[in-house]
Amino acid sequence: MQVEVSRRKFLQGSVTLSIAGASAVSTTNLFSGEEASEHKPSQSGIPSTITTKTSTKKAEDVPYLCGICVNKCAGFARVEDGIVTKLNPNPYFPKSRNMLCARGNAGIQTMYDPDRLKYPMVRIGERGDGKYKRVTWEEAYDAILNGTDKFKGIKQILDEEKDNRATIGYCNGEGLSKEGFEVLVGDKIGSPNYVDEISICLETVLGGYVNTIGTYGEADLNNADYLIIAGANRAEAIITPDTMDLFKRSKGRGLKTIVLDPRFTNTAAKADRWYAVNPGTDLAFVLALTYVVLTEELYDKDFAAKHMEGFEDYKQHILSHNYTPEWAAKLTNISAKEIVKTAREFMAARSPIYYQGRRSVFSKNDFQLRRAMAIFQGLSGNLDKKGGIIYGQKLALPKEDINAPLYAQVQSRFDKEGIAIPASKTGSWIVFRNMVLEGKAPYPVRAMFMRKHNPMSGVPNTKKTEAFLRKMDLNVMIDILPSDTTMFADVVLPEASYLERTSPVASYGGLEPAIVQRKAAVKPLFETKVPEEIYRELAEKLSKPLWEITQKYDEDVQDDTKGMSTEEIEKYYKENGFDLAEPWEKPVHEQNEEKIVKAFGKEAWETLEEKGVFYPNMDKYHQQLNPNEFQYYPESKKNYSVKGDSLKVVVNFKNLAKKGVDPMPTWHDDMAFSVPEGKFRLVTGRHAQFTQSGTTNNMMLRDLIPTNYIWINNQKCEEMSIEFGDKVEVKSSIGKVTIMAYPTNKIAPNQIFMLHGFGGSSEEMEMAYGNGANDALLIEDKIEPVYGAAVMHETNVEIRKV
Amino acid sequence: MARYGMALDYKNCINCKACEVACKEENGVELGAEKHRIWVGGNDPKGEWPLLDIASAAFLPSQCQQCEDAPCQEVCPTHATYYDENHVVRVDSEKCILCSYCMNACPYDARYVDDRTMTVDKCTFCSDTRLARGETTTACQNTCPTKVRTFGDLDDPNSEISELLRTREHFSLKAHLGTNPKLFYLT
Repeated sequence: MQVEVSRRKFLQGSVTLSIAGASAVSTTNLFSGEEASEHKPSQSGIPSTITTKTSTKKAEDVPYLCGICVNKCAGFARVEDGIVTKLNPNPYFPKSRNMLCARGNAGIQTMYDPDRLKYPMVRIGERGDGKYKRVTWEEAYDAILNGTDKFKGIKQILDEEKDNRATIGYCNGEGLSKEGFEVLVGDKIGSPNYVDEISICLETVLGGYVNTIGTYGEADLNNADYLIIAGANRAEAIITPDTMDLFKRSKGRGLKTIVLDPRFTNTAAKADRWYAVNPGTDLAFVLALTYVVLTEELYDKDFAAKHMEGFEDYKQHILSHNYTPEWAAKLTNISAKEIVKTAREFMAARSPIYYQGRRSVFSKNDFQLRRAMAIFQGLSGNLDKKGGIIYGQKLALPKEDINAPLYAQVQSRFDKEGIAIPASKTGSWIVFRNMVLEGKAPYPVRAMFMRKHNPMSGVPNTKKTEAFLRKMDLNVMIDILPSDTTMFADVVLPEASYLERTSPVASYGGLEPAIVQRKAAVKPLFETKVPEEIYRELAEKLSKPLWEITQKYDEDVQDDTKGMSTEEIEKYYKENGFDLAEPWEKPVHEQNEEKIVKAFGKEAWETLEEKGVFYPNMDKYHQQLNPNEFQYYPESKKNYSVKGDSLKVVVNFKNLAKKGVDPMPTWHDDMAFSVPEGKFRLVTGRHAQFTQSGTTNNMMLRDLIPTNYIWINNQKCEEMSIEFGDKVEVKSSIGKVTIMAYPTNKIAPNQIFMLHGFGGSSEEMEMAYGNGANDALLIEDKIEPVYGAAVMHETNVEIRKV
Repeated sequence: MARYGMALDYKNCINCKACEVACKEENGVELGAEKHRIWVGGNDPKGEWPLLDIASAAFLPSQCQQCEDAPCQEVCPTHATYYDENHVVRVDSEKCILCSYCMNACPYDARYVDDRTMTVDKCTFCSDTRLARGETTTACQNTCPTKVRTFGDLDDPNSEISELLRTREHFSLKAHLGTNPKLFYLT
């Protein structure tokens, strides 16, 4: 056993801790009132020190749901004298299985971040110069409605656009209050132009799986015995329960793990085998696996005959294209022998899983890759059963009826250029932005309503995003931190962070379904408000003035209300949903109680209030097995198999052909990986201590990962005389950044890697500003052809030492 | 009265640093790159791309090894370092004069200087926080995604840790030094 354990040796060797003094914290108060700009006890509810040692005094433990990433792990917030001193994992939630990751633990620092947005603000300078004025909430709402001398209000814009609600675009990142924002701006105000994280994230994975096996599914890693995990990095991009289940078993060797990744990740460090696959060539690997399995007849024949639609067509297709291991070896950088071995092992295993993956679209063939993976999983027959990809169940919550008004003047969304199957609700960020920017939109898009979303960092080509935001007449942002995008807002509405608000109840399905509630641990700090309160107040402010515009231009409404008395018109307004505030008449907590009592009874509500989690028979089923493990459902009650004969794998998806999409996964020559001499392929990814740009200002996490580096192959570095910490300029066709070098043997000579989310441009975020490099300045805004999702790994760059 | 120890199923460690953050928040540890009571050591894989030796890239969670025969305690001139009633090696900050003998004596590099108190700080097994409140887990154990740690009373034959040490092979760090750590690495 030879592992270096020395603290100082570790510090020297660690790329992540090599900058000393990262925690020397100073604070600015550009955006804030003086009293709250530091961790000073002068404001009640703010701790006097950055970390607060928990006391032996009595404390309150409030059940909450973590909001630092998309996972929604459950925890209990320890509250002492109105201060959250510690976040602990909640042992009742089957999804997060009694754990909180580094980010989850550091959530306290997000709430108490000195740079938080504290008061409503209105822009008084020019866009992007950071000059704002603190205003009251009423003044902020008024500025949205009526504008100021610096920008137009929504009333004037809608009047000029003759009530075409599509002149408003809106965006929102993932979260429990996202749906409410969609109701407000989409259903009630009537904008069809919505973009969210999906088209810069996992759209093709979801689409590929849902259209092939009917679900994205849940990988039962607790019971699988063979795993291929490609382009997913569960050790560093933590997802519950997958991360816990996988790594508890990989080195315990209960789960044989094959990792495909262009770079050697922490997931690869836990694997039995790691294949340094060429970026964007996973499809060739899967097609060759399929070829082996079909020619050697290793697949589950009963399953194929019973459940796979178009199996014979696919067999023909794979064989006739000659997707041999030798063919794939040249494309993928994985030898034919290894491909054959993996295919045979997979099919010989009792419970093999080809992990679905998540996150961003890697290359243009991503939709076809996910289809090929899902079909390959089908060939093993390991679907809808223990140890396989399972479908699971969900506990149904009462549906909310939204009384959405109909606007005759609203035009439809247009972001469809170059897309085979445009997503009607969430659209394509890149296509939407670029068409507006290039004047290709059929009508003017003049306002952006934004919440909890940072496209300046998340959407490839930051310069275009900035130009897009500058083009708007009105930008509204609801957020907790002054992000790069917030700095282009005209009106800034500060939101309560996730520890300060009770959120709508959520139901998590799967193997062990449960309902969870996030309860506010403390009251909203400063003058922030919970999102649903903001929605209601903004809706109240806008409702009547916007209704007047509708009455002015909407001929349907004019016909309907002709000859009506004032009272009758008021009744019509309410009955037809034009009263925008009506969904938020009751506070969230009250709505939660109503829903849960209605669906599961009063006792269920009491359990949820106390434990943060509820599922039927929880009192009987839930047991502690040992200090580290819990039983949530007994084995016989887990939803391993739910589909029966209705289970279907759509192999030959003929309708796709009508849209110009290959009905069966097919390799095309232009998918091959190549990098011109002297250039490098840029790959990006995540880290276990950061959630994209959202946590780069978190003091605790910043202490662990002070900045991002560019990974360059060590031998290449020697050729180029680049040493650790050297500044390197990285240049693509759309921009350039400067970043420090990390020479490593964990990446190929013609590729580079950098963590996503760094290089913030907002001066109001002290820790994040100018720290490291923003990959969105480099990644070319290319889309994949099925949904128009952003392609992250098809940009070549040049590097030089500076 | 107990004799507390910890077993680490270290092969499950993914170097996510949840333990380190939980420790800092629970115990009010100072921020700063070298200020931590627990950490994860790691080696980059040996070899050249793409032929890397996976086995050489191990992660090793570490902290004060809670030695039965602690060199840090032996060298302390003011008796600031002491064993508490549960055999946990503790530092009495009132008595610490920051001579740093203990930091040099510790073979595991487990001690650092808290700049706020100008005394030496180290892992306490959450003795004055969680254990003082009657809780039975440390912050690092409780939060760990892959459940690397099991904390408990080595003198209680029925404890989970006693059971683990009876049934699993394990080793101690730098066992040849005769410090008799109460941290056990499970193989």
